[in-house]
Amino acid sequence: MLPKKFRLLLFVQFIALTLLLTVVNVNAQALDVFKGEKGEIMISGGTAHIPVMKDAARNIMSINPNIRISIAGGGSGVGIKQVGEGLVNIGNTGRTPTNEEVAKYGLKMFKWAIDGVGVIVHKKNPVKSLKKIDLIKIYSGEIVNWKQLGGPNRPINVYTRDEASGTREVFWEKGLGKKTITLKANVVVSNGAMKSAVANDPNGIGYVSVGHMDDSISPVTLDGVNPTIKTVKDGSYKISRGLYSNTKGDPTGLTKKFIDYLFSPEGQKIVVENGFIAVK
Amino acid sequence: MNRLGEISVTFFSWLCALSLVAALGTVFVFLLFKGLGGMNLQTIFGDTNAWDALTLRKAVFNGLFPAIVGTILLVIISVVMALPVGLAAGIYLAEYGTGRAKNIFSLSCDILAGVPSILVGLFGFSLSIFLHKYISQNIYPCLLISAASLSFLVLPYLIRTTQIALEQIPSEDRLTALALGAGRLQNIFYVLIPRALSGIVSGVILSIGRCAEDTAVIMLTGVVAMAGLPQSLLAKYEALPFFIYYISSQYTDMQELQMGYAAAIILVGICAVLFVAAFFIKNRLVERMLFRI
Amino acid sequence: MISRFEHLIEKSFLAAALWSMALTILIFVFMLILGLPLFREGRFFSLLFTPWIPGEEQFGIYPMIMGTAAISVLSLCFGAPLAIGVSVFISVLQPGRLGRWLKKVVVLMTGVPTVVYAFVGIFLLVPLVQSFFTAGSGMNILTASLVLALLIAPTMILIFSGSFENVPISYCNAADALGSSAVQKFVYVILPYSWRGIITGLILGAARAVGDTLVALMLAGNAVAVPGSVFDSARTLTAHIALVTAADFDSIEFRTIFAGGILLYLITLIMVLTVRFLSSLKKEASP
Repeated sequence: MLPKKFRLLLFVQFIALTLLLTVVNVNAQALDVFKGEKGEIMISGGTAHIPVMKDAARNIMSINPNIRISIAGGGSGVGIKQVGEGLVNIGNTGRTPTNEEVAKYGLKMFKWAIDGVGVIVHKKNPVKSLKKIDLIKIYSGEIVNWKQLGGPNRPINVYTRDEASGTREVFWEKGLGKKTITLKANVVVSNGAMKSAVANDPNGIGYVSVGHMDDSISPVTLDGVNPTIKTVKDGSYKISRGLYSNTKGDPTGLTKKFIDYLFSPEGQKIVVENGFIAVK
Repeated sequence: MNRLGEISVTFFSWLCALSLVAALGTVFVFLLFKGLGGMNLQTIFGDTNAWDALTLRKAVFNGLFPAIVGTILLVIISVVMALPVGLAAGIYLAEYGTGRAKNIFSLSCDILAGVPSILVGLFGFSLSIFLHKYISQNIYPCLLISAASLSFLVLPYLIRTTQIALEQIPSEDRLTALALGAGRLQNIFYVLIPRALSGIVSGVILSIGRCAEDTAVIMLTGVVAMAGLPQSLLAKYEALPFFIYYISSQYTDMQELQMGYAAAIILVGICAVLFVAAFFIKNRLVERMLFRI
Repeated sequence: MISRFEHLIEKSFLAAALWSMALTILIFVFMLILGLPLFREGRFFSLLFTPWIPGEEQFGIYPMIMGTAAISVLSLCFGAPLAIGVSVFISVLQPGRLGRWLKKVVVLMTGVPTVVYAFVGIFLLVPLVQSFFTAGSGMNILTASLVLALLIAPTMILIFSGSFENVPISYCNAADALGSSAVQKFVYVILPYSWRGIITGLILGAARAVGDTLVALMLAGNAVAVPGSVFDSARTLTAHIALVTAADFDSIEFRTIFAGGILLYLITLIMVLTVRFLSSLKKEASP
């Protein structure tokens, strides 16, 4: 038998472990449904959703290594196409799928978060507030220099998203009133890319998901309203959108469990932790 | 040409040589400077214990391990798919091809080698959609499709190096076995290929390097930002070059950027090792052959 | 007597060669088939000259053609002189230890992954360009061309060097015997003789520049406007294909990238045929 000291240590460790497991178990109830499951979930689409997807996937895969979740970006357009064609199980969108899209693919939509789209500039840019009419002129190419807005004498570098982006769609519709975006704008392919582009360009201006905003860039007050979670929630910031996960037809099996997980208290906690607004 | 002209040409030439070396040096020094600090177990395995990750007991989330494994698997599968075809076609061109036919095959090989890699990726993508629609709903862009597309990409290199290696065998060695009564195939397999082995192997290594570094093809055929270790050939996967591309525009904090630098160093390291290995193998094999004879 | 088995193996060699040829053709045919709707509606040629504004149902690839042209030409302008200078160094001025060492360095450069060059370009070159030329974001034609030049230079250097060293030794000896210096030998003997090799190198370098995706995707900004200056953001055909394929694969928007693909394939084809033609020209004895 082991010497007395070790036995005591072992016993203490055993108690501690049991306590730990109980505590962890209480919090992991939502993940229990994934125990004993096996299979793959393929997700693609909106880039704003990716941090939430990653956290959820990590939790699920840690508890059950037999489940494989793969996450790709591409933008809302990609999400819809790929889930519609059966290439992925879940297609994320940062905009509501259109009636044609729903009809064509038989999509079922699930909104698990609310987000906004805010305008951002470099931290050192003195221009931190804009009128909507000016924003439209900047993006159409009418205003080309920061000095026209009270800033330094520097050309404005406009950044926009690619065509598949739901963020772009929402910004264009609600922020620009569907006015044209200049062809000369630099194109970036995700929310993350937009953030790092503007963070590295003192003369840049772009738009990004409110949940993605951090202190690497400065948000721009639009018509007197700051783009924050609070203003999106109470409706004073108008450029808002839901974060959707869409499936082709009703979700079944593992996919259904994943979507239910997003709506569970634990899932909604992940949503809030990533800077979005919970729907429940 | 007067003295001034000569001096300026010489000066220009030296300037170019120095600029080239300086540019390459800057790239390497910059990478090492920014990335060496991040080369630790955490960058590769994230928060998971290294032993658990290597024995596949736990998944790695914040590390480069899945991407490294993805790249390795990709390379192995592509080369396995391309090697037999490349070898066989190279043998045909060197030993059996004649005149016009040889010219045409050779031309098509050059064209394939010159096709932009994005078009090969597009072809692979279209192929996967085609297969998905008409053969099986289970086929998506995945590891297998990417590996197949990469094999198409490196096929011309394998064919060419095999062909050249075989053609460079002096005619005396070519005829010896035949004179002793061996059949054509026996000659090829027992005499010619062993003699051309160093050339063939360096071609294989060149292809391995090409598969490891290519990004355009895999971008369109199945690589994703997060997938863990690929469970099957029909699964999505991660890869180092895609990780570097993806993180370069979408890093959210300095730690992720550090991982990008580390990934770049690892990728360059892999390619450098392959290069040196090719050089070594070429020479050692040649020595071995000489001693056997 | 050749056994049946051996016959089979020999047939399989032929099959492999046929398969590789079929592949080359198949890639082109796939693009033609998938782009068929474009031909039917007669849109193919108009696509080559109209802008890309999907919001207004315009899917022309003209801006991307200009982007490819601008970046390729500029990168050749940077890369070709560099390549010639280095190959003169290796083959003519310092054919000894120094030249051999430099050649090894050049071969090493061909092994560095494209994505790594582009990555370093983003974090080292872009801020530099941004601070020197405050006209833009640093992601423009100039930056992309500089990095692309570095990428295509090694290939061109090796081809140039090879053709310089292929000049018959008797010519070089004759020049030396007449007392010419290395530079004189290069300008009056080597250069005229190896013009074919130089053009081949330029064409292959151009092919590499036109076909490269990653450098342009990561460094040129990807704007869809026809570029007006080297400080403008631009998009190449290759980057365009990468960006749009990620987005869609059924609509007319997607099919237009096959127009770009067909164009790229034809450009590559012409370049390869030209190189072949050049090498088949009988070598005349220089007077």
